[in-house]
Amino acid sequence: MAKLPTPQMLMASRPDFPKAAWLDTKPLFAPGSYCYPEKKDTMELLHMPNPHDWDPSAEDWNLPENWEKILCDAFEERLEKHRSLKLFMDICVRCGACADKCHFFLGTNDPKNMPVLRAELLRSLYRRDHAMLGKILGRKIGARKWDKEVVKELFYYAYQCTECRRCSLFCPYGIDTAEITAIVRELMHEVGLGIHWIMDPVKNCSFTGNHLGIQPHSFKEIVEMLADDCETVTGIRPKTPFNEKGHEILFITPSGDVFADPGIYTFMGYLLLFHELDLDYTFSTYASEGGNFGSFTSFNMAKKLNAKMYAEAKRLGVKWILGGECGHMWRVINQYMETYNGPTPDNMVVPTSPITGTVFKHAAATKMVHITEFTADLIRHGKLNLDPSRNDHIITTFHDSCNPARAMGLLDEPRYILKHVCNHFVEMPENTIREQTFCCGAGSGLNTEEIMELRMRSGMPRGNALRYVQQKFGVNHMACVCAIDRATLPPLADYWAPGVNVSGVHELVANALVMKGEGKRTMDLRQEDLPNVDAEEDQ
Amino acid sequence: MNTQQIFRDKTDKIVKLWVEAVINCYPDRSRPALSSNMDPFTNPVGGMIREAAQGLVLAISGADIQIEQIKKSIERLIKIRAVQALSPGEAIGIIYLFKPILRAEILPQMNKPSSFSEYLDIESRLDTLAMMAFDLYVRDREVLADIRIKEIRNQYAELKRWAQNLNSNAPLGTFTGCGN
Repeated sequence: MAKLPTPQMLMASRPDFPKAAWLDTKPLFAPGSYCYPEKKDTMELLHMPNPHDWDPSAEDWNLPENWEKILCDAFEERLEKHRSLKLFMDICVRCGACADKCHFFLGTNDPKNMPVLRAELLRSLYRRDHAMLGKILGRKIGARKWDKEVVKELFYYAYQCTECRRCSLFCPYGIDTAEITAIVRELMHEVGLGIHWIMDPVKNCSFTGNHLGIQPHSFKEIVEMLADDCETVTGIRPKTPFNEKGHEILFITPSGDVFADPGIYTFMGYLLLFHELDLDYTFSTYASEGGNFGSFTSFNMAKKLNAKMYAEAKRLGVKWILGGECGHMWRVINQYMETYNGPTPDNMVVPTSPITGTVFKHAAATKMVHITEFTADLIRHGKLNLDPSRNDHIITTFHDSCNPARAMGLLDEPRYILKHVCNHFVEMPENTIREQTFCCGAGSGLNTEEIMELRMRSGMPRGNALRYVQQKFGVNHMACVCAIDRATLPPLADYWAPGVNVSGVHELVANALVMKGEGKRTMDLRQEDLPNVDAEEDQ
Repeated sequence: MNTQQIFRDKTDKIVKLWVEAVINCYPDRSRPALSSNMDPFTNPVGGMIREAAQGLVLAISGADIQIEQIKKSIERLIKIRAVQALSPGEAIGIIYLFKPILRAEILPQMNKPSSFSEYLDIESRLDTLAMMAFDLYVRDREVLADIRIKEIRNQYAELKRWAQNLNSNAPLGTFTGCGN
């Protein structure tokens, strides 16, 4: 008769767990841990290499016959092209400074989610083919050969990194693990492996403009619907200029804010602010997605999607581009855009605020200014009439979105704005904000619902810090400057700190903005009652 | 010596042993990070385990403690274990890791006719705590399912509203409540 296992046995609470060495412990493709694969026809349309049908949970991933050669050649090509990659492969001394800095490691407690070991998955392959000692000593110094299980392992962990670069902040050598992840994703694409939630938006952004592939006329109608909502709240219907030539500014923001709650309220905030300023601007339906899903795919795809911004700036003849609240859009702009698609079209000039006359010299290269820089400058010059008491029902904190914080140093402008539009602002613990901010857990194309369980553990360090300020200071709101955050933080808050609402900064700006000729405000942009509205006076 | 007095001397050791036992459920390479850093924000799971240990030992000892207080102490740990790709048994089984510790540390002092029934009460309290943990676990899994549905709705909320307006010829901007 078989004996029942003890709880300790079931729990695997023992010193030698796992039994196998880390290189031999393979990931389990359990539902909730991996994203759905891309569709074959999507990959064909985009001329991606080796499109094929496959299933991450299946034993056989239907890799092309010469998959090993493809991967070895592709890796070698990238080592030659990117000197940084070769450096990152060579210089890591495995000091472990990054080990416990990754939100995926902190949430999953899976050692291969330590940035050092995640990079080691690729570095072990590099050692065999490109390092003398690895060629001689092989496995003894952690070198290994390619096999199909290794491909699966690389795929699994490349999509358990949000490229947030928190680990890089602590690396004494400045190794950018996000770039290693980006290269692994590129390699996976060489053998036809990608995920639906990234490739479908890439296709839509390539062919139509926005990430859902909504046709231009419909996109415009949805924006007009939001302008109608603005009128319901304020009595003023803001203009919605689309594809108009000859304006000073082209405004580009993530299209998620046109389709998704609660991002739409941030978009309504932009409409109202621009109307109040009588800003000379236009939207574009072609460059209607500021976020760059290509940057989660390959450098070439990122370049291709990024090119739409300058193409539209040239076609529409604008002087500069104002960019909305987005995350990775700003990493691409600050770190890659000039190399990808510079120099800017001849019609573009160094951005100057038409309201305050401030010259944004830091944007001289890209000619793109972040909306919080623009608005903070307006407030600094006293150009906005603000009533922060309209946000008195809110005790807000601010989540530094990874890319604006770490890739462009946008730390103080959003806080400056928040402190002028809200009377109650509370910071989360200092080792979870600013440069050290914890990711929402679902950036870089991982904000898809099938991995909600994974997202709740990877976003836990952020959720945990939020829960702390909620319980200690009564925080009931978290502002952020990223459309992916606006999509991913509400579920994270619902799980870890239920009762906390999430919004963009410009939703709160528009709530506090006293507009010329507006009706009496009784509702906020969500059409919920404002505080401090006198009921009798109302009648 | 009654139960409370025995626990008073042993609490720190029981807490330490249980924290170790829970950390031993995680892969060996992950354990140093869980046990060495005492900051609750940069080592959240370690912090959750320690917080739960304190609350649970207090409850097991039979001290006067509110149920809400116990729940609060284990809530975060159950939340993270509910989404760490563990089976339900693995997720809440950590409560039962107390049993061998109690039998080693507490039972020898109570293994006599006058106090054995009190020891059985201690283990019964452990059963109650496991049931509480299971309730929390199920609640968390239900929240997880709900937020998944809510996110699917929210992603396309405006698109749906726009499409519904097309069908009904209602004036644009009529709030239909979808996505909420």
